[in-house]
Amino acid sequence: MQNIEEISTQLIQQVNDSNSPRDILKAPELKQLYAVIKTLPPEKRSDYGKQINELKINLEKTIESRQSELENSTVKPIDITAPWDVNSEPQQLLPTDKGSQHPLTREIENVADIFTRMGFEVIESRQIDDDFHMFESLNFPGNHPARDGYDTFRTEEGFISPAHTSTMQNRILKAGKEKLESGGQIGVVALGRCFRNEDIDATHEHTFYQYEGVFVSDSATLGQMLGTLRSFFEVYYKQNLKIKTQPSYFPFVEPGLEFAIEKPEALGGKSGEWLEMLGCGMIHPNVLTSAGIDPKKFRGFAWGGGIERLVMLKYGINDLRNFESGKLQFLREFV
Amino acid sequence: MIVSLNWLKKFTDIDMTVGELIKLIGARLVEIESFTDLGEKYKDVLIVKIIEVNKIEGSDHLNVVKIDDGGKTENIERDENGYIQVVCGAPNVRSQQIVVWLTPNTVVPNTFGQDEPFVLGTRKMLGLTSNGMIASARELDLYDEHEGILEIPEDIKPGTSFKTTYEMDDIVLDIENKSLTHRPDCFSIIGFAREVAAISGKQFQTPKWLMELSPDFGQIESEKVELNVNIDDAELSSRYTAIVMSGADGNRKSPIMIQTYLSRIGMRPINAIVDVTNYLMMLTGQPLHAFDYDKLVKVAGGKADIHVRAGRDGETLELLDGKIIKISPEDIVITAGETAVALAGAMGGANTEIDVNTKKIVIESATFNLYNLRATQMRHGIFSEAITRFTKGQPADQTVPVLFEAVRLMNEWAGANTISDVADTYPGKIDRTTIKTPQTLINETLGSSFDMRQITDTLLYSEFDVDVEEPYTVLVKPPYWRADIHIPEDIIEEVGRLNGFDNILLTLPTRDFSAVKLNDFDIFRSRIRTLLSRAGANEVLSYSFLHVNVLEKAGQEVNNSYKLINSISPDLQYYRQTLTPSLLDLVHPNIKQGYDNFALYEINKTHSKSDGFTDENVPIEQEMLSLVITEKNAGTDAPYYRAKRILEYLSESLGINLEFEKPENNLNLPIFKPFEYRRSAVVKDKLSAKVLGVVGEYKKSVIRGFKLPEYVAGFELDTRKLFDLVDKLEPNYRPISRFPSSERDICFQVNDNVTYGQVLDSIENNLQTEKYQAEVSPVDIYMPENGQTKNITIKIKMTADDHTLTSEEVNGYINSVIGSVISETKATVI
Repeated sequence: MQNIEEISTQLIQQVNDSNSPRDILKAPELKQLYAVIKTLPPEKRSDYGKQINELKINLEKTIESRQSELENSTVKPIDITAPWDVNSEPQQLLPTDKGSQHPLTREIENVADIFTRMGFEVIESRQIDDDFHMFESLNFPGNHPARDGYDTFRTEEGFISPAHTSTMQNRILKAGKEKLESGGQIGVVALGRCFRNEDIDATHEHTFYQYEGVFVSDSATLGQMLGTLRSFFEVYYKQNLKIKTQPSYFPFVEPGLEFAIEKPEALGGKSGEWLEMLGCGMIHPNVLTSAGIDPKKFRGFAWGGGIERLVMLKYGINDLRNFESGKLQFLREFV
Repeated sequence: MIVSLNWLKKFTDIDMTVGELIKLIGARLVEIESFTDLGEKYKDVLIVKIIEVNKIEGSDHLNVVKIDDGGKTENIERDENGYIQVVCGAPNVRSQQIVVWLTPNTVVPNTFGQDEPFVLGTRKMLGLTSNGMIASARELDLYDEHEGILEIPEDIKPGTSFKTTYEMDDIVLDIENKSLTHRPDCFSIIGFAREVAAISGKQFQTPKWLMELSPDFGQIESEKVELNVNIDDAELSSRYTAIVMSGADGNRKSPIMIQTYLSRIGMRPINAIVDVTNYLMMLTGQPLHAFDYDKLVKVAGGKADIHVRAGRDGETLELLDGKIIKISPEDIVITAGETAVALAGAMGGANTEIDVNTKKIVIESATFNLYNLRATQMRHGIFSEAITRFTKGQPADQTVPVLFEAVRLMNEWAGANTISDVADTYPGKIDRTTIKTPQTLINETLGSSFDMRQITDTLLYSEFDVDVEEPYTVLVKPPYWRADIHIPEDIIEEVGRLNGFDNILLTLPTRDFSAVKLNDFDIFRSRIRTLLSRAGANEVLSYSFLHVNVLEKAGQEVNNSYKLINSISPDLQYYRQTLTPSLLDLVHPNIKQGYDNFALYEINKTHSKSDGFTDENVPIEQEMLSLVITEKNAGTDAPYYRAKRILEYLSESLGINLEFEKPENNLNLPIFKPFEYRRSAVVKDKLSAKVLGVVGEYKKSVIRGFKLPEYVAGFELDTRKLFDLVDKLEPNYRPISRFPSSERDICFQVNDNVTYGQVLDSIENNLQTEKYQAEVSPVDIYMPENGQTKNITIKIKMTADDHTLTSEEVNGYINSVIGSVISETKATVI
């Protein structure tokens, strides 16, 4: 009887020569090999089985590449410079009434627009970052318990998929330092995609969008922060709004707050109903220091909120999973 | 974390409704997730006395019992003495016992609030009337004890309400822990009560014993035993204190009142010894641990020698729950001599466990490095009430006062007596610093207008030491339990929070009139979205991460993707190198949903290892734009042209002229991998010859892998490069001519291997645009059946700026164009 190696070489050769390589999986040699298993003493079966399995995996790979080769060999080149194919009509675009923009990018544009008009520059956040920007520079020393709350994805190299847009704070502060020190202010909103390592359901997504605001001046106050945020939401919802806060803890702010607005009429809100919109606070002196800004001379505030929440409230969407589903059924609701 | 309102009330007055209190706590301390009214649960529960117990004939365990309810219950059958009959199966039922009786029509407390609550009644059992039920601890929802009925050791008058006696007319609040991560003091009843007092503007008074940092433990009356404690590495533990007691009775229970308090906040009462440690932990936040002294001495080889040190590689320990764990150097262990006897802060070891034969106990009151314990918690999966508190960082000063109180309660509840001196090692002592905070800083940071009186009162209420440096600066020394207070900002937080941030006047920052404009790149992307949506395409956002199969199906190198090491799902394991694979993955599901003709596009970032790093040493991010178009019942033409059409619509709308080249040197770039090189093109800017991306059809293997229809094509571009071109475009306006234009269609017959582009190029190179305005557009591309040649028909429209063209001029012009095409492509004009 031939050994496994010989059969393997032989079958792979057959695959490479075949025009219907998948048929080789039905080769009698393979069947024979399987038949041998039963005749072996039990202690040898597992080893032998593994070898056959390996052979099978190898064979599959070879079949796959042979198949691609065959498919590719039949491909005809085309004139890539032509406006349309020979003997055919000029190309048309798709019907314009079916085209759509994603509701999240639409809202991101809207939020960016309002903050720009208020005087904030808008930048986009990164999608892969390091521990320094995710934690260190934000006053989370190594092993800080508050790190647990963020469930970050990590790469083999130790990079982090940002779990908040606050990864941009240190960069915003560094970039604005000079302007600040020459009598100006820092006012930047960072918008972008964030990630949390959690299972998804209607109310949890591992991928989401945030808007992060950073304001620093020589006279920033908590009252200004609350006023700024209320002003944003009043413009956003086109009505006067009541707000309330709740103390909260984020290592990069002191004090830290949760910010809520009274549910706007546009969303069917009644008096006494509150919507938690975002987390905010006065920038911790250590965060300013880590960007080289003197916390004795300058103060600032920052906030971070979710774009999805705004969109869900606006349209009455109740399942977060729609956003990244790529379903036309969902996307074409927004034509 | 669960907090009992009645327990809080032992330390501060609460004179508002529960609703008001929850609102106030929410605005000034922490979110209350929910609350439960226990009073309702124990509404009809009475303490009664058993008068008579008689075995029921024919039953092996049932007794007929007469109880005295003090005549409290109405509408119930009584015997001639006024007693009520209950049938009871508990083995420990005895005459003269004081017990808890659930009256008929009561909901059994441990089923209260459930979907099917168990409602008692008056029933016949073996022909005998039984009214309600004599309750066990489990039925009272106190703890899981069902061996018999709950015996009340105190002499309580029959008919007294259970809930009044044991203060069960209570509300328990469920607190959202997360935002108190920095407040170890709030993980205790006293600490929480202190906050409640402070936020309602009341002075708080911490119990004296908790303020006495060097209490007098008194004389030892019996023979003294030795106890040594050592912290081998001060980084691991700032303080370790312990004491030995003897005579603790493991069979004794703590007072019922204490048991009910423990159980209502989620701790199971066990016996007096364990209850003392748990009770004090809940009260003060300081966890305690008890070892068997004799076992400890034996393990240490004859000495009472306790050490705190880092774990060692290869060390193992059997824990109280029977699990044997491997200790890591990041764990902190308590040892007796050289041998580990506890995983510090987490769980004791089996080798020093207290059991029925225990004569002497060691009580430990210590603090440990919270970062180490956090790692321990994660590594060994231990999430006890104790470690939850340790990982917030309990104050070292509190260890001794709590140990002192533990000694007192061990004596009172378990009959134990001290037989050693207090062993106390405190290498991590830190002096509390005074934080100087000017009134102006407080008000300028908050935007508030607190006067000095308000500021000092607020801080005094929660027991800060406050001095005033005249005229307007407070000198604040935080109490020992406020390890979170270090800098003036912390003081500002306290003043703002305790007075309510919501009372601060809202203002807006002032700014000058210098304009801020939306980022040009954002404007540009918005423009692309508008254009592509107008072209009938749908924008998608897909995940930044891919399954390894998607990468492989797209033919991209898996090793070129950043790999996530802790992903929850194999679908999210690799960063995507380009957008195309994500889009291809969305085509089949949409076709299955019944969509036939559509184009999906995405504008997003991508990440490849081969892109390298930024100045900050983080991966370079590419800004990409990808589109895929498919049609179910399309003609037989190449779908390539469909994708190219949308691409050229986009580029022309942006003012960019593209050219299309055979991909040769680019084939190994990730962006080209999914594309079939014979039916796709490198997309270049015609003017600068900069490569922008790719347009084309996909490899057959890609089509098969992603289950795509035959008619499918797409493109992917570098959005940033496209933007840079558009951003630098100069206005290209040529005044319109007043004179009529002339048009000519010319049909060139060329060999099949001559491209449309070659013909067009040679026309465009001869348009003499300095003299004429010219427009060139395709009319028809025809290939006869022989397949050897093709006829390319082009329309040329020409106009002069300053006169009407004569037919000689037009002919001359056209002939020159034709001439160049013929010489460059060997075409014939037909």
